[in-house]
Amino acid sequence: MPPSALDDLRVLDISQGIAGPLCARLLGDYGADVIKIEPPGGECGRRMPPFFHDDPDPEKSLFFLMANLNKRGIVLDLERPKDAALFRELARNADVIVESFEPGYLASLGLDHATLEAENPGLVMTSITPFGQTGPYSHYKGCEIVTYATSGIMAISGTADREPLKHGGFPGHYESAMNGMLATNVALLTRDLTGLGQHVDVSMQEVVTSSLVINQPNYSFTGGVQGRRRPEGSSFGQVTPCQDGFFVCQEGGSATWNDIANFFGREELKEEKFANQAQRLLHGHELDEIILDATKDRTMAEMFKTASEQFRMLFGIVQTPEDLANCPQLEVRGFYQEVDHPVIGKIRVPFRMWNMSAGPATCRRPAPLLGQHNSEVLAELGRAAA
Amino acid sequence: MTLPLAGLRIIDISNVFSLPYAGGLLADLGAEVIKIEGPARLDISRGGAFSGVHPDNEPGDDPWNRSSTYNLLNRGKKSLAIDLRRPEGRQVLKDLIKVSDVLTENFTPRVMRGWELDYPNATKLNPKLIMVSCSGYGPQGPYAQYPAQATTQEATHGLAHVTGYRGDVPSKAGQSFVDFLATWALVMGTTLALRYRHRFDKGLWVDVAMYQLGCTMVADRILDWEANKRLGERIGNRHPWLAPQGCYRCAGDDAWCVISVHDSHEWMALCRVIGRPELANDPRFASNDARMRNHDEIDTFISAWTACRSKTETMELLQSAGVRAGAVFNARDMHLDPHAKARGLLETLSFPPERGIGKRMILGRPWKLSKLPLAGRGPAPCLGQHNREVLRDILGYDEARYAALEESGVIGTKPTVPRPVIRMSMDERVRRGRLASWDPDYKERLGIQE
Repeated sequence: MPPSALDDLRVLDISQGIAGPLCARLLGDYGADVIKIEPPGGECGRRMPPFFHDDPDPEKSLFFLMANLNKRGIVLDLERPKDAALFRELARNADVIVESFEPGYLASLGLDHATLEAENPGLVMTSITPFGQTGPYSHYKGCEIVTYATSGIMAISGTADREPLKHGGFPGHYESAMNGMLATNVALLTRDLTGLGQHVDVSMQEVVTSSLVINQPNYSFTGGVQGRRRPEGSSFGQVTPCQDGFFVCQEGGSATWNDIANFFGREELKEEKFANQAQRLLHGHELDEIILDATKDRTMAEMFKTASEQFRMLFGIVQTPEDLANCPQLEVRGFYQEVDHPVIGKIRVPFRMWNMSAGPATCRRPAPLLGQHNSEVLAELGRAAA
Repeated sequence: MTLPLAGLRIIDISNVFSLPYAGGLLADLGAEVIKIEGPARLDISRGGAFSGVHPDNEPGDDPWNRSSTYNLLNRGKKSLAIDLRRPEGRQVLKDLIKVSDVLTENFTPRVMRGWELDYPNATKLNPKLIMVSCSGYGPQGPYAQYPAQATTQEATHGLAHVTGYRGDVPSKAGQSFVDFLATWALVMGTTLALRYRHRFDKGLWVDVAMYQLGCTMVADRILDWEANKRLGERIGNRHPWLAPQGCYRCAGDDAWCVISVHDSHEWMALCRVIGRPELANDPRFASNDARMRNHDEIDTFISAWTACRSKTETMELLQSAGVRAGAVFNARDMHLDPHAKARGLLETLSFPPERGIGKRMILGRPWKLSKLPLAGRGPAPCLGQHNREVLRDILGYDEARYAALEESGVIGTKPTVPRPVIRMSMDERVRRGRLASWDPDYKERLGIQE
């Protein structure tokens, strides 16, 4: 293996679900030796769909597979004193612990950062929780939609005549995993300078709020409160149907309105009433009709290519998971990695988030089976103790 | 404790949201970040459609220095305004690369290559340089040169396909979502590269493509396709495999609360709280599968109860009983909610009196480190504010050379191509639907009066 930024580190992952496990995986992607510690019966991520061939076997959750690559796995019941003692021994030689329990739970077991760092001053503990470790909501239960609602993003998503709308899927969890890894890196850089570890507190609510860089200062600069788009005027810039799906087109970049009119092949778009944004909004209904008619027989693939290559337009098409699975650009980027899982077999997994000229993310292991590395890790511990 | 990036110099040729924000966070962490713009090529966040708003809705004499979003993203940086299209401007950049640790840029990939300042060339000037690039699709591949921006990419990277009201057309959500994924990735990549350099004494190139990152957000859906040939569908605010979950109307103007039930304990608790304990044993709702089937009916019961309560009361009552619930907070709540206040995600930045901006609250960072108190290290700079400091003090140019660059317009402190300023009263913004509402007394509410 070529050297990578974190290949001198050992990480203990006692987190569950998506955000914590994915954060720990990202540390593993860059070389860390990650040991996933699950309770007897396995963590809740093993019960999350989608499952391989829709078989709800705890070894076949594809969500679990994706979030736990590059880890070895052991089982410990942290509520049993004997296992807690083993965990404390592991923590003595660990660099990072990633956890996602309700604030206070680890302290009740004597396994919080303050206790563990007494025996290992360089220990970094990263906690990823719905509302953070402090504050009146720190004990509230969360999940993707609760994060989305309380972050502020839902209030501006969807249309004004209907309820606020969340993004589909779990982007709040993915984003929180990224911030967990980012903040762990910051703690590690600090430790490299000072020798001291620390407790890193990541709030999922705050992660998603932190993406609202237009919305937030709008209030502190003018008192303005943004809402949801009114379902009127033009739908230009919104998702629009075409022959075989949907597209989105935006003004801006190097394309002029004239270029856009030429792309759609409609001379009437060059008329005075569409000459600027205010005019187009005023004649929005007419504009929408012209564009709908101009695109009803055109395909997504053709328009994406023509708009991007010939007209230099900002142009998107609504791609499905199937499109992404067959995407030539993702292929060039090395986005997919094949893993060979002992139960699932060979499967291609979305893996690489970005590229690096040295020390890139490497996919070295599939997700562990429950307790797969019990004896291996305990033997190492024995050797370390001896 | 010393900030972890103290003593590091970062050249930040960034535009719009993603990379400027990353640079602002790296400045929070202690780096000296020099933002480079051209007098004729201002960061888009300084004006125009993306710029946000001006303090008290007053553009002032220098609107390009007063935009809300520009000032949030670029806190704690220095500003060098220099024309990189001219060889004298690029010479300054080359000289800076020699004395810097990190070079970050988010041009279309062909630009730095055209200037012979792509990674292989830049390392000839500084062998241990870390370079961080952010582009739409990456520098190679069939889409490499396609123009890109977050709102069109939200469709292309697969998120719009799974977002939308139930059974309705695909949709976008939030604002410029993938830009912020790029921000996190850019800081992750930079911090990894710094540790790599620290350990192995070598630089590297971090190459972030927004499209690729966006696709990561639907990894579970791609796997469902790979294994089960399932494309997924739009289900609005419902949960893909648990019930009930939804966004319910509460008492008050545009007031909503989300609720999500994950198991039978939470279901029983919900039934108790909404005063319908008999539903807990009703066979129509006795299992998760049954609740998935009869979701519409459950929504009726829940809505009838939430409609009589404020969104925060709804959240508090349910959370006290152990049921996942969250009020839909807007920008006002984000500033005034007790939890937000206690956590202090928003920081108050004081601008120098001559800027005429006063005190403003901006987003800090969504993580706290127990031994490393972090805070924005100062306001965003005025255009070209540090031209002299960078050229004279850092690069050691003599006065004659500095004056010549100024004289020929290679450096400047005013935009040579002014952008039109949108002047619209706050009430008009509300009438046109650009805002839901506005609070004339927002400064008192925030405690940022002069």
